[in-house]
Amino acid sequence: MEILIQLVINGLLLGGAYTIISLGLTLIFGVVRVVNFAHGEFLMIGMYLVYLIAAHLGLHPYLGLVPVAVILFALGALTQKGIIQPLLNADEHIQIFATVGVSTILLNLALVVFGANVYRAPAELGTGLFNVGPFSIVSGQLITFVVGIGLAALLNLFMHRTYLGRALRAVAQHRYAATLMGVNVYNVYAIAFGLGAAFVGVAAGLLAPQYPVFPTVGTYFVLTAFVIVVLGGLGSLYGAVAGSMIIGVVDTLAGYYIAPDLKEVVYFGIFLLILALKPTGLFGAGTE
Amino acid sequence: MFPDIRHPRTYVSLLLLALMFVVPLVGNTPVLSNLFVLLFVFSALSVAWNIVGGYVGQLSLGHAVFYGIGGYTATLLTQNYEISPWIGMVVGAMLSGILAVVISYPTLRLKGPFFALATIAVLEVVRLLVIHGESWSGGSSGISLPLNIGWKWIIFREKINYVIIAFALFLFVLWASWFIRKSRIGHYLIAIREREDAALAVGIHTVRAKITAAVISAMLTSIIGTFHITYLTFVEPASAFSLELSIQIAMFALIGGLGTVAGPVAGTFLVLPVAELARGWLSSVGNGMHGLVYGVILVVVVLTIPRGLAGAFGPAISRFLENLPYLGSRRPAPTPAPEPERKLRDSIGQPVLKAENLVKRFGGLLATNNVSLTLHEGEILGVIGPNGAGKTTVFNQLSGFLSPDQGRVSMVGQDGQWVQCKKPDEFAHQGLGRTFQIAKPFTGLTVLENIMLGAFIHTASRHEAEQIALQVAELTDLTRHLNIEARSLTVGGMKRLEIARALAIRPHILLLDEVMAGLNPTDIDKAIAMIRRIRDSGVSVLLIEHMMQATMALSDRIIVINEGGVLVSGTPKEVIENPAVIEAYLGQEFQDA
Repeated sequence: MEILIQLVINGLLLGGAYTIISLGLTLIFGVVRVVNFAHGEFLMIGMYLVYLIAAHLGLHPYLGLVPVAVILFALGALTQKGIIQPLLNADEHIQIFATVGVSTILLNLALVVFGANVYRAPAELGTGLFNVGPFSIVSGQLITFVVGIGLAALLNLFMHRTYLGRALRAVAQHRYAATLMGVNVYNVYAIAFGLGAAFVGVAAGLLAPQYPVFPTVGTYFVLTAFVIVVLGGLGSLYGAVAGSMIIGVVDTLAGYYIAPDLKEVVYFGIFLLILALKPTGLFGAGTE
Repeated sequence: MFPDIRHPRTYVSLLLLALMFVVPLVGNTPVLSNLFVLLFVFSALSVAWNIVGGYVGQLSLGHAVFYGIGGYTATLLTQNYEISPWIGMVVGAMLSGILAVVISYPTLRLKGPFFALATIAVLEVVRLLVIHGESWSGGSSGISLPLNIGWKWIIFREKINYVIIAFALFLFVLWASWFIRKSRIGHYLIAIREREDAALAVGIHTVRAKITAAVISAMLTSIIGTFHITYLTFVEPASAFSLELSIQIAMFALIGGLGTVAGPVAGTFLVLPVAELARGWLSSVGNGMHGLVYGVILVVVVLTIPRGLAGAFGPAISRFLENLPYLGSRRPAPTPAPEPERKLRDSIGQPVLKAENLVKRFGGLLATNNVSLTLHEGEILGVIGPNGAGKTTVFNQLSGFLSPDQGRVSMVGQDGQWVQCKKPDEFAHQGLGRTFQIAKPFTGLTVLENIMLGAFIHTASRHEAEQIALQVAELTDLTRHLNIEARSLTVGGMKRLEIARALAIRPHILLLDEVMAGLNPTDIDKAIAMIRRIRDSGVSVLLIEHMMQATMALSDRIIVINEGGVLVSGTPKEVIENPAVIEAYLGQEFQDA
């Protein structure tokens, strides 16, 4: 029983990191209606930046994530303006190829610049363990979890309480109708894409104390994030949070009770089931 | 089975293919041989992928799964049982075909990114399972092939033998893709890609067509996988079930031109050498160089020539080829065969289509409330009603696009017996044609091809389908527009194309959904005459229409639907004088006035 509870705790904490990545992915899809296949590479770039800042400027990743989030916001907005915007009315498969192309470029750019070596950002805070009763908790994971939930709450407030948030939701629901109401759709798209990318910038800083960085690190996280957002309903913020928690727990339980190298098989299996049975996900294709 | 060799398009293609084969044979250096094996392998993979990704438009990003299965099956059989990889190639292709069916069923209705994600998930699952099955698969470190030399083992010292086999396999895959594109199934696949519901309406069994394409594509990919992995004499999960490889295959097809026969080959021959050169020359910079080249080319292509090389240069090449001489004398242009004799009807006959007590709910809305109607042989039955009355909903139930919650639809089938159909394509096969209120042409195809898609229901022969299409085009006044793309027709033209496509399935019942909406008065007169001609040729017609005068003039009987139910039915005169009808259309006040 104690093991089970410990596993669930670990799973939920892991879900915190997934939450941040998935929120970004689902925000981009919900508003721009493009599945960002380069999302994982944004994360990877973020982690390299965090590493560089930590290694050369001596800034802890938790502080380094602030400039990194800003840089990634710019990268996301630029991707939207330069590559997605000209293709907004193109066929779906062209948009997919465009983001796949961006992903290929970023991945190989990292290979060229950093090689296949593994780097780890130096960090003290965030690597330690502490105990609560019989259960042990990694401090960095707890911090990530708290920040993840906090970001989800903030994003929810932003979407419902600010003009910009309402504009994002309006554009998500109907591009042309929003234009008629005086919303600058192209800017809204760039902001949505930038925000989505900034989220992985934050995630990069929070993950750095526990995970080393290498060129394909993004693929590992983003495939999980795809599972999560489809499970929760692509475009749904609540779905992204709930999906993150579910997959986090599935991850740790399957890793312990089935086999460590088959945990991905389990959630990819869930993913295929969801796609086959209820492609709109558990929480519908809403944009709330 | 084979293209007409006298046609310039064919002999130029054959010359180019011969050139591709001669260069490595004459050059005969290890570097050149290796490059051409790679070119043939990737061209073949890309051509095979294109059957699903291009023709059907389902973007698979997990196609390496079939490549890997082909490679692993052959390697394991050779290593454990000393079975020749040629047999392993066949076994692998069968396994891949079975897997394709298993994957296809649940993912059939997925579109765009969702389908792509599902294929990636399948690829990951298979890769992880192979790594997990270390006892038989060698785990993540992979397996090496035993080095038995000779044709039986597809392992040679002279690299040129690999070139010969790679070229032969490439030719085979290319021929398969060409054959599919030119046959009925190829037309069906493209119809499904363009508009799935319109494809159903002309009787295409969309599920069967998609699965056939998936299976063929998977088997071809697997065959090439067996060869390529045998060539490498080593297989490991990371490279056999690689997302990167899957993306590359798809990318070559996109760059060359999705959905074309030659596009994937052109894409591969253009891009792969550039990337290989980058890998060679710039290897000192880092090992991501060729991938970077791929990524940059991909983004540039989607931004500048999204329809690929075929889209950008295809028309110019076609014009060039048209100017080359045809070797020998051409076949005379086909003349439409005379329309088959049909007994003309001058009176209304027995019932041919019956709807009994149809009920359909959408959530809380009762869209169809206990509607019954009967269409008789040789009759024109008009269905009218205010906007939102539920006419199209009834119509969709009559043609299988919606299934009623209660009640049933039955029709007289091809053999004269009453039948009940479930799906739109079954209705079409029993001889019921329909049009769509909002015209749904297969936009990328020509008018002729659009009509031929209907005609294919009775014949697998392109020639016969073309004959039928020409006749129908004559009847629907489309002969002048046969060779233009459907998207450039006028509104009137599109409406006539809707009718033509429905007529091409040779229906005895025709359902017309507002085919006169948006037409100008001259076109309406033409349409009225046309519908009369269609009825006189022995087709029973049910039409929904807002153009009151046209409906009054055409219909033998009229049914008025309001708020989901039948309000009145009778002759045009009875209906137009009925107070309830006037109220439904114009309101109580008008009647009182």
